Amino acid sequence: MRIGVLWALFVASAKMFIRNRAAVFFSLFLPLIIMLIFGVLNFEGSTELNVGIVDEAQNEASASLVDRLGEYEYIVLTEGDRDAELAALADGDRGNVIIIPPDWAPPAPGAASGLIAYAGNADPAQAQVAQGLLQQAVGQAIFAPAGGGGGGAGFVPPLDFQQVETRDLGYIDFLVPGIVGMTIMQLGLFGVAFGFVQLKRTGALRRLFATPTSPAYFLSAQVLSRLMIGLAQVAILFGVGLWFGLQMIGSYLVLLVIVLIGSAIFLAVGFAIAGWAKNEDQAAPVANLVSLPMMFLSGVFFPREAMPEFLRGITGFMPLTYVNDALRAVVNEGAGLLTIGPELLGMAVWLVLAFLLAVFMFRWE
Amino acid sequence: MTAPSSVDLAAARAPNGRPIITVKDLRKRYGSLTAVDGVSFEVAEGEVFGILGPNGAGKTTTLEMIEGMRPIDSGEATIDGVDVRANPREVKRRIGIQLQASAFFDELNLEELLHLFGRLYGREVDTAALLADVELTEKARSQVRTLSGGQKQRFSIASALVNQPRVLFLDEPTTGLDPQARRHLWALVRTLQERGHTVVLTTHYMEEAEELCDRVAIMDGGRIIALDTPQALVDQLVARGFTKARVERLANLEDVFIDLTGHDLREGE
Repeated sequence: MRIGVLWALFVASAKMFIRNRAAVFFSLFLPLIIMLIFGVLNFEGSTELNVGIVDEAQNEASASLVDRLGEYEYIVLTEGDRDAELAALADGDRGNVIIIPPDWAPPAPGAASGLIAYAGNADPAQAQVAQGLLQQAVGQAIFAPAGGGGGGAGFVPPLDFQQVETRDLGYIDFLVPGIVGMTIMQLGLFGVAFGFVQLKRTGALRRLFATPTSPAYFLSAQVLSRLMIGLAQVAILFGVGLWFGLQMIGSYLVLLVIVLIGSAIFLAVGFAIAGWAKNEDQAAPVANLVSLPMMFLSGVFFPREAMPEFLRGITGFMPLTYVNDALRAVVNEGAGLLTIGPELLGMAVWLVLAFLLAVFMFRWE
Repeated sequence: MTAPSSVDLAAARAPNGRPIITVKDLRKRYGSLTAVDGVSFEVAEGEVFGILGPNGAGKTTTLEMIEGMRPIDSGEATIDGVDVRANPREVKRRIGIQLQASAFFDELNLEELLHLFGRLYGREVDTAALLADVELTEKARSQVRTLSGGQKQRFSIASALVNQPRVLFLDEPTTGLDPQARRHLWALVRTLQERGHTVVLTTHYMEEAEELCDRVAIMDGGRIIALDTPQALVDQLVARGFTKARVERLANLEDVFIDLTGHDLREGE
């Protein structure tokens, strides 16, 4: 009888969710629509060049060259060592890398520059433009340090670019893991809180207590059905993401682990709210109070790196931040479970906290 | 006239000597409020037993303690030989409960709900037969929220019958129903009694109690202040010298209403 009861409640719970148009809209179609809108808008219209520079000469001439390049508004210059910058290039974080070799000295006009240059092959059209702009900038920086007219008739392109195999991370690669994280959160908070509070208020839950079946079965069935629905949603979002050009280089199994732990955290928070609230009017503000800050501060739509230092520090501890960081590490960088250890630890701590909160807040009536 | 100071003990026993429910000195306190203050009675197998009383008299609390829905502070309740305090789950297996505010899951239809409730008792139920019993066959694929008040109550009774209970508890089954729907429900209760179910119900309507109940207990302030057959209670009152201010007419306004509007149900069917 036990498994039969659980199955019957699971099926009923899933049916109830699927037939609830508001729930389906907010937890499935809304994230999908957001993704489509952001996917179509495409925020990659940036005209800045991401250039990594490696100064191995460490002399006056090389320092001057670095300074001069840094003055160009359209060049975002990052200094680092050779290995780090080439890795960044391969990951798609830099468009080009210029290396100033040891003992470098400014060449005579018309001679080769002596610089080593790498270019990513991510977006050929954009790379062409970028390389042209960079040739000009470097040429001016080397041959016209006083700011006089560089270039001129006998201009030799100073850089001989070596093409490097790179991954081009588009906005879609950033967005999809974020939307997946957001969806997991919304399903846990709203999918549970509202339905459950309604059952509590109308007395449908009390009707269940009139049967010999323990209410724990009902709770388990709700959790299981929400997990299944969550997985289906992630699959749909991922499918659409892949169609939009998402590059998934990590393991789907690791992704599943993160999705399940993340769902468990937010389901527990949802049950804490649903268990505490007497009606929907009490549940709604609290659920929004929990979800809204995370939706905008946990790096769903925009990288947290863009935030002021203090905000970045605080938001780093939010549960959705851990989930999003872990998802991105897997999807964008192919991280395994060991690599995302810190994020998993953060999620585990939140899971325990949320579970305790749910146990203490929960009231059947 | 004064109410009898104590309940006739003989009348509190099961008339046929085969009690299916035995309640002894049941008590419930909420803080300083005594909701149920020493309630004792027996219900015989096959009987329709009514609990009457004004709001706040402790009817629902008494019912819920007997059903195993609410913890018993002190006293004893036994249903079909099972001690409610010791084994509420076993009691729930043997009884059917219609709650005062009967709500169900909105997104499921009647058939699906009955099937689900059957599974909660580990049973496979004949949903069509159950719905036919309460005359809701055409509504099998409708959701509860689309039903009229009377239909809702009938469905609620159907959901309480999925486990073929020995005892059926109905908490104010006709409150808020129009006269036609109320009479329809009375007929259903009588049918259930004929099929051998024992029924315990609460009501605010004296006419309903007179019509349906073999015996009634009148509660006030958490105590039973009278318990007997409706006829005996009336006889006792008259014996105390009661006379009505106005002589009983041969019909009352409800009779007029039913005569004019007919017995047919008005449920937009």
